[in-house]
Amino acid sequence: MSQNLEQSIKRVMADILNIPEDSIDEDTSSDNTEGWDSGNHIQLVIALEGEFSVSFDVDELEAMQSYPDILEMVQAKL
Amino acid sequence: MNKTAPHESAAAREKQFRDALADHVRQGERDLAIQYARMLLAAAPGGGTDRFIRKLAQGGEAARLNLRPYRVALLSSFSIEFLHDALIAQGVANGLGITVYQGGFGTFRQEILDPASGLYAFRPDLAVLAVEGEDWLAEAYGRYSSADPNLQAHPARFKDELASLLGQFRAHSQAPLLVHDFAPPAYEPLGIADGASPQGQAGLLKGLNQAMAEVGAGLADTHVLRYAALVSRVGGEQWYDPRMKLYAGFPLTQAAARHLSREYLKYARALLGLSRKCLVLDLDNTLWGGVVGEDGIDGIKIGPQYPGNAFMAFQHSIQALRARGVILGLASKNNPQDVDEVFANHPHMVLRRGDFAAAEIHWEPKSESLRRIAETLNIGLEHIVFADDNPAECEHIRLLLPMVTVIQLPPRPENYVQALYEEGWFDTLSLSAEDAQRAALYAQRAQAETLRGSSADLEGFYRDLDMVLTFAPVHEKNLPRVAQLTVKTNQFNATTRRYTEAEVARRMADPAWVLAAVSVADRFGDNGLVGVMMARREGEALAIDTFLLSCRVIGRAVETAMLARLCAAAASMGATSLLGVIVPTPKNEPARDLFKRHGFTHEATDEAGADTWRLDLETSPIPYPAWFKLAD
Repeated sequence: MSQNLEQSIKRVMADILNIPEDSIDEDTSSDNTEGWDSGNHIQLVIALEGEFSVSFDVDELEAMQSYPDILEMVQAKL
Repeated sequence: MNKTAPHESAAAREKQFRDALADHVRQGERDLAIQYARMLLAAAPGGGTDRFIRKLAQGGEAARLNLRPYRVALLSSFSIEFLHDALIAQGVANGLGITVYQGGFGTFRQEILDPASGLYAFRPDLAVLAVEGEDWLAEAYGRYSSADPNLQAHPARFKDELASLLGQFRAHSQAPLLVHDFAPPAYEPLGIADGASPQGQAGLLKGLNQAMAEVGAGLADTHVLRYAALVSRVGGEQWYDPRMKLYAGFPLTQAAARHLSREYLKYARALLGLSRKCLVLDLDNTLWGGVVGEDGIDGIKIGPQYPGNAFMAFQHSIQALRARGVILGLASKNNPQDVDEVFANHPHMVLRRGDFAAAEIHWEPKSESLRRIAETLNIGLEHIVFADDNPAECEHIRLLLPMVTVIQLPPRPENYVQALYEEGWFDTLSLSAEDAQRAALYAQRAQAETLRGSSADLEGFYRDLDMVLTFAPVHEKNLPRVAQLTVKTNQFNATTRRYTEAEVARRMADPAWVLAAVSVADRFGDNGLVGVMMARREGEALAIDTFLLSCRVIGRAVETAMLARLCAAAASMGATSLLGVIVPTPKNEPARDLFKRHGFTHEATDEAGADTWRLDLETSPIPYPAWFKLAD
């Protein structure tokens, strides 16, 4: 399941941020990823919410600035 | 039966549809790609699906799909770019390659007022003014106060502002324009007292929406999209996302974005002439529960108890489509006698056999049935929607006739109405009186044909028609129609003599003339005034000058009843014979043997080829055929 979850998150991120799925790892963050800007960030959050049927409040979504952040946050909601 | 966990099978189906869609895009199979886009959107609604379809549609291979280019300008008070994926994806499912123009955030007024704006340079096929009521008039929403001294003046002021803005748009663009009306707020500050208060917020919003409707009605190609109704259907709490509204300027949920896109597409289809015209339905487990061939008329489920009431509700929703002009057809694998029995004798059937303009009830493939229905009704397959509960039949049609729109009915009948209505396949921008008549006309025509084919003998066919004949004297009211028939009738016309109203009117006043206007009604409807007879007393005979019948009712022995009527009229005048003339024309073949087959004897042929026939009223008067009812 957790393998699945990681894959699903990477798929959504790749889709929204227009980057290859296999380029996403522990180091992927909004600081070092071109195209992960504030506009895309909202798209990404909305997409994650839709994909996993969860909801993030504003503090949470602002804190989700890297792949590990996202993984942790989504995991905590499931 | 299916042992796979629901989420796994759903995921598998999603993948299957994605693969099939990508494949058909690659092959350039337009209609199949559209079908799979539709199925994918239905099976896995969500942003992921929308983005998948959008990427395919904008990818290098999409050119081979030949999607119809369609340019949509979105003018909004909010960040409506969050809607693009849904709109473009649903465009693909409608065969449209949508390009979106996005006005600047909250700059809709400037865009419209500036003739040099990007909006006009874009040359949209459709422009949408998507403004939340709150953004337009905060005094009616967040800043509403029942103590506002201007409360009563808001609607009039708003109307002026809107009329001026939309007038500017119309001056600069020919594009059809959609304008959202205003949805109610989640909570009214006056609480439960709002509705009863003359200062209430609900009353104010009603006034604003009324003003908007009036402005829209006064401008060409301007349509008010019933946004409030849409929000209420989905539910305000599912529609709005207060967090994203305040944080990102986008007040809608993703579900709302999909519903709204779907609504835009309804207008696009109607504007492009893509509205569907005909609904072809299955029977077993579609119009009723169960299988009539197995369960019998008493075993099928249709009636006041669940699940029969769900099927009744579905039939009512189909009846409503028919009432607005959608033509109905049947495609069912059944024994025709079983089906006829249900339609004729089941007390809870809402739809009648006569409501269907075409029916294919047999064991041949449904693709054949749909082809024949399209041919019978003379409409394109792309105008047909096919609804069936059986996934295999749906798949069969998708593959063999991918231009047909397929509604695969959901597993439970209580969801059928939604499945039929949600996409608005039949929606048109307005409805005319002709629309309302259309379905009946098609059905009437087709039914008479079917009966003719199915009746064991001709007399049985006549009896089945329940025809009622009316012979009326010619008077002021029917005079125009009578004169018109003498001028227009070419086929069943014994003498083809043309008369003006004045000429007929002179005969009305002359006691030597017998004039009759013939109307025919049958179980499918009133055909109106369809026949005219004019005859004149000449010595011992009554001589027929004009004998004509509209081609609408040829082949029903109406002419026999008309001759019987003349026999009776002649006898009552003391005449002893009836004289008839046939003046041959290139078109009146159907009337040539009229007198011969009714026992008249040939008397003479003149130099022009006209034949005179005589009937002796004492030896061979013509009786009324038994199957006619006479109205007078």
